[in-house]
Amino acid sequence: MTSKYLSVFKISFQQEFAYRLNFVMWRVRNVMQFFLVFFLWDTVFSDPNRVVFGYDRNKILTYVFGILLLRALVLSARAVDVAGEISSGDLTNYLLKPINYFRYWFTRDVSSKALNLGFAIIEASVLFLLLRPPFFIQTNFPILFGFLLSVILAILLFFSILFLVNMIAFWAPSMGWSAQFLVIVIVVEFLSGAIFPIDILPNAIQGILSYLPFPYLLYFPLQIYLGKLTGAAIVKSILIAGAWSAVLLFSVNSVWKAGLKHYAAEGR
Amino acid sequence: MSNFKLEKIPKTFNRYLTIWWFMSKNSFLSYIMHRAGLLGLFAGKILRFAFFFAFIFFLLGGTDTLAGYTFNQTIFFFLTFNLVDTISQFLYREVYRFRPLIVTGNFDLVLVKPVNALFRSLMGGADVIDLITIPPLIAAIVYVGVALDPTVIQTTLFILLVINGLIIATAFHIAVISLGIITLEIDHTIMIYRDLVNMGRLPVDIYRQPLQGALTYLIPVGIMITLPAKALMGLVSPVGVISGIALSGIAFFASLKFWNLALRRYTSASS
Repeated sequence: MTSKYLSVFKISFQQEFAYRLNFVMWRVRNVMQFFLVFFLWDTVFSDPNRVVFGYDRNKILTYVFGILLLRALVLSARAVDVAGEISSGDLTNYLLKPINYFRYWFTRDVSSKALNLGFAIIEASVLFLLLRPPFFIQTNFPILFGFLLSVILAILLFFSILFLVNMIAFWAPSMGWSAQFLVIVIVVEFLSGAIFPIDILPNAIQGILSYLPFPYLLYFPLQIYLGKLTGAAIVKSILIAGAWSAVLLFSVNSVWKAGLKHYAAEGR
Repeated sequence: MSNFKLEKIPKTFNRYLTIWWFMSKNSFLSYIMHRAGLLGLFAGKILRFAFFFAFIFFLLGGTDTLAGYTFNQTIFFFLTFNLVDTISQFLYREVYRFRPLIVTGNFDLVLVKPVNALFRSLMGGADVIDLITIPPLIAAIVYVGVALDPTVIQTTLFILLVINGLIIATAFHIAVISLGIITLEIDHTIMIYRDLVNMGRLPVDIYRQPLQGALTYLIPVGIMITLPAKALMGLVSPVGVISGIALSGIAFFASLKFWNLALRRYTSASS
């Protein structure tokens, strides 16, 4: 059982190296996206004593570097190909095999995350040496534990969101890419805190967003790491993220069952 | 070149305009076939614009200025970026579909037709979504631009430098498809180009040297986007304008040379 998914992990990992140029280009793109965000905040906090939106230079630049690493861990995924498999009918190949489709894709996601995180750590180290930003290191063990827990929940959340979006292909095969563009590329990118920390927004908007799953992907884990959330606030954020994970994982299962009833293996 | 006749130019232009019109019409019809997908992409583009606009609004609400620029000026940089980016995507969407032509060898069918292969590869399928967003974008630029109180000369320079920016964008797109012929890699190259241009969403003044210099002269995103916006604000010197125009001329000429070199390297593999 375990060895089956371990093999999937190894094959998926090796597959990434089969298209080395693709992977390198993808990482180059990540670094360029990092530059826009880094230099924007570097300019805003050019005065080291300035405090805006509750951040000082240390914390905001740590947030930006944290995003580079956390993106690799949370938002790297191979399950973006699920919609294509459904619409091309290739899903049938998996349905005939003694393999759990969710575990298969989750394993492939983990492999992608491992590879991307490895490269992100190297990039972050090189960029750190080049840009020499101040960096905030969290040393409080309970806070680090809360951060770790929130990252695990974020990975589950993103997997559920991605799978739900991809399953639209059961009903609208040609909508796979546009649904991913709308939800994953735009909504997740902005509302997860990948471009800017959510707390620069007015309190009313922050309040609404805190009940959506998106800020729990990147923003809340980083808030915990930076020590901007403590005690009850950490517990509350973990409980909300946990509740969303449970609801979305349950939804993935229900939508999958409904989708399979609708699936006609067109294209096979 | 020996057969070149000046009087043929309007006739050739009309012929290519007709071809472009037919190719664009076909492209629009194929988009309409996927209405739901079209709606998703359109909503995504509008949301991305709205989110970034809101970000600048709230950011400058807290900081007052960004690299010395006021809220209106920062928004004008952002709108200029959107204008240049959207027009070039509207015109050159076919570049995103170029790779299959090369990989399958179907590019042969483009080469044998009595239409310029570069024209067909660049402008073979205009993007309807971008077309829809261009008029409101121009209206927003006029609205914010007027608030910056420019002179007639500054406005003329802005228009001239936006066209200049589009020439640089054209050069980039030609370079991307030329590189695609040689390396078979386009999808990531064009996205890297997009990421580079995205760095011009905000004035290039926010970047530290040597990145700022590279974005101005080496990968002239600054000349494409920041320079026109600065011209409207009266913040560029005549030397800056002339260098910007000269650089776009060099970039365009170099991209055409690269295209010719790539064509000679085309192997027609898989055909």
